[in-house]
Amino acid sequence: MNAKLLGRLGDAGSYLFMLVTFVFFAGPLFWLLSLALRDKREIYLGMARFIPKYPTIDNFISVFTNSFFPTYLWNGLKLACLSGVGVLIVALPAAYAFSRFNFRGKGIWMMALLAFQMISPLVLMVPLYRYFKWLQLLDSHFSVIMVYIALGVPLASWLLKGSIDAIPRSLDEAAMIDGCSRFSVFWRVILPLSGPGVASVFIITVIAGWSQFLVPFILLTRTELMPIGVGIFQFQGMQNGTTMQLLAAACLISVVPAIVAFLLLQRLILGSLTAGAVKG
Amino acid sequence: MTATTMEGSRGLGVAWFQRRFAGAPMPWLIPVIVVIGIFYLYPVLEVIRLSFTDSTLNKVGNYTLFSIVTALSSPQLPGVLLATVEFVGGSIVGQQLLGLALALVVIRGEKRHLFGTTVLRTTALVAWVVPGIAGGIVWQMLFSEAPFGGLNSMLRLIHIAPVAWLSDPNIAPWSAVISNIWRGTAFSMVVMYAALKAIDPALYEAAEVDGASASQQLRFITLPQLRMAILVNMILITVQTMNTFDAIISLTGGGPGRATEVIALYAYYTVFRNYDLSSGSVISVLMLVISMILALAYALFLPREAESS
Repeated sequence: MNAKLLGRLGDAGSYLFMLVTFVFFAGPLFWLLSLALRDKREIYLGMARFIPKYPTIDNFISVFTNSFFPTYLWNGLKLACLSGVGVLIVALPAAYAFSRFNFRGKGIWMMALLAFQMISPLVLMVPLYRYFKWLQLLDSHFSVIMVYIALGVPLASWLLKGSIDAIPRSLDEAAMIDGCSRFSVFWRVILPLSGPGVASVFIITVIAGWSQFLVPFILLTRTELMPIGVGIFQFQGMQNGTTMQLLAAACLISVVPAIVAFLLLQRLILGSLTAGAVKG
Repeated sequence: MTATTMEGSRGLGVAWFQRRFAGAPMPWLIPVIVVIGIFYLYPVLEVIRLSFTDSTLNKVGNYTLFSIVTALSSPQLPGVLLATVEFVGGSIVGQQLLGLALALVVIRGEKRHLFGTTVLRTTALVAWVVPGIAGGIVWQMLFSEAPFGGLNSMLRLIHIAPVAWLSDPNIAPWSAVISNIWRGTAFSMVVMYAALKAIDPALYEAAEVDGASASQQLRFITLPQLRMAILVNMILITVQTMNTFDAIISLTGGGPGRATEVIALYAYYTVFRNYDLSSGSVISVLMLVISMILALAYALFLPREAESS
């Protein structure tokens, strides 16, 4: 009886905590939505008009028509997707080697990758800026994509190694007995079977690329090359109190694709991110 | 079997290449080695070299130790370090506590089939996916001190005086911490959730038989069992928060004054606004040393991973 009462009390406490944290996490995004749907007059009502009385999509229309926004979105998508492909090209063979070969210093190699991952991108960007300037590759998408790839490779190698580890080695051996070379084992056995891992690494890299700010901020100066992250930052600099609804709409447009991509593949992404953690 | 015939139809060069190299790990690692060499190793060595020169962004200077002395004795540095410690420390404490609490509630909710557990978990994760720059803008709109700013207009509804969220140098750092907790907690939650799931349920059964209360179980079983996860999490949060740049440049830009100018922002301003490449490199080396110490600590806490791989 007592235990049951305690359980009920615990449930009530849990619900209260869940409510408060839900408001904390969801509130800012609903606030953004609320602002983005208002017209000029309702902006001044603040929280008191959380649900706009005269909701409008004019802000979205004006963001899309009166600025570089479509270009920003296209650039963001292009940089993110190409870097996703690039990361896979670089990290997949390495992940295969880390998973299937035994060689000296493998543990150290993998730890070194993790250590590199911990270096602040800003530290890397200082010399890389000069390097690209010297190569006259500033203001080019090529250099930005290369840096995105480099930033994504360490984590991708770890995650892909995890998903290749999960494929039984006996499959490799069977294929090799049937006369497959290492390359065709990789191409015909490993790649098709690590589909979910590859997909989640691709999505993680694309989301990270979409969210990137620092790299294009430093390497690009021409507006028509900017991806979305830098685009909304510059948009923010141009706005004032009377155009908050436009900034909110722009911001929402930049946030939604990342959230949608994540929600669609949440199970997959979390699975590959936590696989290592649970095992270790 | 089809593979065999396909092999045969390929050129002799390919077959030779495969026989010669495919059995060794090196060819597989070449792309990664090239990328790491160009984009990590070279910049790291270069930034160390530059810190021993008196270079500006536009010209490479001569070798000197003078820049190191100037950069480290800069009157701004103590303030920057303090702001960084506040930002990182506040984020660690906040994200650990909230992340652990969330993970505990989510697990309890799953066990007792409470309504909304999945919604809560997903919402926290959604905040995590929001791009840093957008997160900064959203929180700036909430903290905005204009009459229609989100939090202040809410406070006004319940007749509380407005707070100078971003313009008071004593409050702004904590506002920055709150926004960072908002974005970072989901990661802690995921780590803690995985660690909690890995605790042997027999421990709790034994404790229950011995008549331990829920709070005793938390204190004597859960927390000690989570020690490793908490340490690892702390290191990862420190690295992530120290490297935070976008979320803070769009929230405060380092202000008011220099109250929220964390080390990454300071390094950026030094190099790209003051063109002081050598001092910026010294600051970068400082960041590098801190990250490497943390990486080393991380490696020490994960010995099993390294051995098994």
